[in-house]
Amino acid sequence: MTIVHAVAVVEAVFIALLPALLLRRRGAQQAADEGGPYLASAAGSSAAPRYGIRGMLRDRWKPLGGRFAMLPVGRLRRIGARNGRGDRTAQGREALYGMPSPMPLDDQFRDTLERLPLAILIANADGRIELVNAVTEKLFGYARAEMIGLAADMLVPGMSGADAGRGVLTNGGPSAPAAEPPSVMLPLFARRKDGSRFLADVALNVISSEHTRLKLAVVIDRTDRYELQRNRQELAHLTRVSALGELAASLAHELNQPLTAILSNVQAAQRFMMSDPINLDEVREILQDLVEDNNRASEILRRIRALVKKGELELVPLSLASVIGDVALLVHSDAIVRAVRVSLDVDPGLPLVRGDKVQLQQVVLNLLLNAFDAMEGGTGQDREVAVSASLEPAGMVRIAVRDRGPGLTSDRLEQIFKPFYTSKRDGLGLGLSISRSIVEMHGGRIWAENNADCGATFHFTLPTGDAAATGRSTTST
Amino acid sequence: MNDNTPVVFVVDDDDSVRRALVRLIGSAGYRVKDFGSALAFLACEPLTDCAACLVLDVRLPDLNGLELQRRLNGASATLPIIFITGYGDIPMTVSAMKAGAADFLAKPVSDVDLLGAIESALGRSDEALASRSEIDAIHRRLGRLTPREREVLSLIVKGLLNKQVACELGTVEKTIKVHRARVMEKMEVHSLAELVRISDKAGIIARDQAPASAQQ
Repeated sequence: MTIVHAVAVVEAVFIALLPALLLRRRGAQQAADEGGPYLASAAGSSAAPRYGIRGMLRDRWKPLGGRFAMLPVGRLRRIGARNGRGDRTAQGREALYGMPSPMPLDDQFRDTLERLPLAILIANADGRIELVNAVTEKLFGYARAEMIGLAADMLVPGMSGADAGRGVLTNGGPSAPAAEPPSVMLPLFARRKDGSRFLADVALNVISSEHTRLKLAVVIDRTDRYELQRNRQELAHLTRVSALGELAASLAHELNQPLTAILSNVQAAQRFMMSDPINLDEVREILQDLVEDNNRASEILRRIRALVKKGELELVPLSLASVIGDVALLVHSDAIVRAVRVSLDVDPGLPLVRGDKVQLQQVVLNLLLNAFDAMEGGTGQDREVAVSASLEPAGMVRIAVRDRGPGLTSDRLEQIFKPFYTSKRDGLGLGLSISRSIVEMHGGRIWAENNADCGATFHFTLPTGDAAATGRSTTST
Repeated sequence: MNDNTPVVFVVDDDDSVRRALVRLIGSAGYRVKDFGSALAFLACEPLTDCAACLVLDVRLPDLNGLELQRRLNGASATLPIIFITGYGDIPMTVSAMKAGAADFLAKPVSDVDLLGAIESALGRSDEALASRSEIDAIHRRLGRLTPREREVLSLIVKGLLNKQVACELGTVEKTIKVHRARVMEKMEVHSLAELVRISDKAGIIARDQAPASAQQ
């Protein structure tokens, strides 16, 4: 988890830096108070024609020798200046490459891109690939020469689209770049030479000037991360299905109830229809009940299906009352069979939380079934599970599931959340560990406590909609 | 529908199932009384003097169907019980039938099965009712006997001859003959065999031994 995060942070910094790298040059140009073509091949207006950014650099940056910090777009700041540096670098590059590049991209820039540990593609206005780096060759399986001139769409679908990428680097006034949003990483399927597709995060930026419009794509292979995420979701799905499997008999009963009502109602109606005169009021009521029972059956199926389906994570504002209510309905029959009373105490005024409904239901379901299991050996009188949801300080809500079983020994209070730790004879030992990863992914916390009198209470917290939204916006800016 | 119309009690915690069952059973011309829980059923006075049966869901909160059956048996009620369940397994069925259930039906239940089961359960209830009223009648007749006549009755149904009864009670055979004729008359029977049958039915043969000897 931490490694993945760290890698993501490093990548994000790279992505953020790239447009800045480009802007640095334009910033210099603007500082020199000179208009004119910047990336066009007929670059210089001075006596000796100069090509590309490097040429521009030599001409325009010299008087300033400006050095800009490589900060994300919108935070571009000149943080210092040193004379001669840009010139020396440019000359060094010329020595290295021998002659000026005929491309509208200068050698230093190419060199920088070449060394980046990310796959880079630059396409021209026609959507043809102009430049790639070594990582791109490796990632897509093409030789560099094969790629130049190819339609960029072949590799990165949508790259040549008119509005591809939001990070447009315009050639406007000094304030223009600040107004542009940073480029976004879009997950999509990129295509290798052999036709195979892989998941990648792609950041698209448009580098535009009066004469050219280039598109720069940074492609990050996400196969591993998606694999990891998919495995985790797969596992969560598996435990969800296994929990529902335990409930199968009860769920069948739950569905059987409306079917029973429907059959008896229809047969009663048939009998009423044979009588003379027909009691139409009674028949009308029966028809109304049929509709209701039918809805009830489909509602149960809908809830089961929602829990069984393998969906992508979907973070939406949720009412905890409905999350808990749906689960309570699914365990209703199981509770009766196990002679457990389930009481719900959900504050109706609770704010919405932001989360994935299925996953949060999985947590509640898991805690409820655990509570039922905990009271398996107890006497009939005290078998009660109390579910409550209440508002906590700091924009959190707390859900508590309280049982009246034997409680937990102090070493178990922490152990039970570890994977493959189980106290049940036929338990997988995954329920609580998955519940914990779900709750933590939602920005909450889960823990267990012994009650003062008897049994244990499992608590978990979730940020409310407001807190969740603020949390996200601070991380994204 | 009058007071003698058989009554069918329905206990199911599911409102819509209960409503449907009430309609279906009602459509067959029975009186139906429904309850949402076993405790609600116990709380009311379910005893009637007409034929009755109970349609009972096994899976109920608080007090389940099998426990209700146990309690009713404990109270020596004669109400025949038809269990309906969506979740019946063999042990559950066996325990219900052993405890005297009239029938055990799976949900969803067809009208033919349910109404058929109700009909035969009500038949059982009718029989129980009839035998109870016969027993009541026998006890009424018994009440007319003098203590001496009861003593004579209990001895002759044991198979003792008049002579032996006289000896047992320390009197003469002729007196016993007179008592015996009175007993036959008051008990409204014409033969010894008949007297033995009704005495057996009312449980006199076994039950009367102790009080009869205690009185002496």
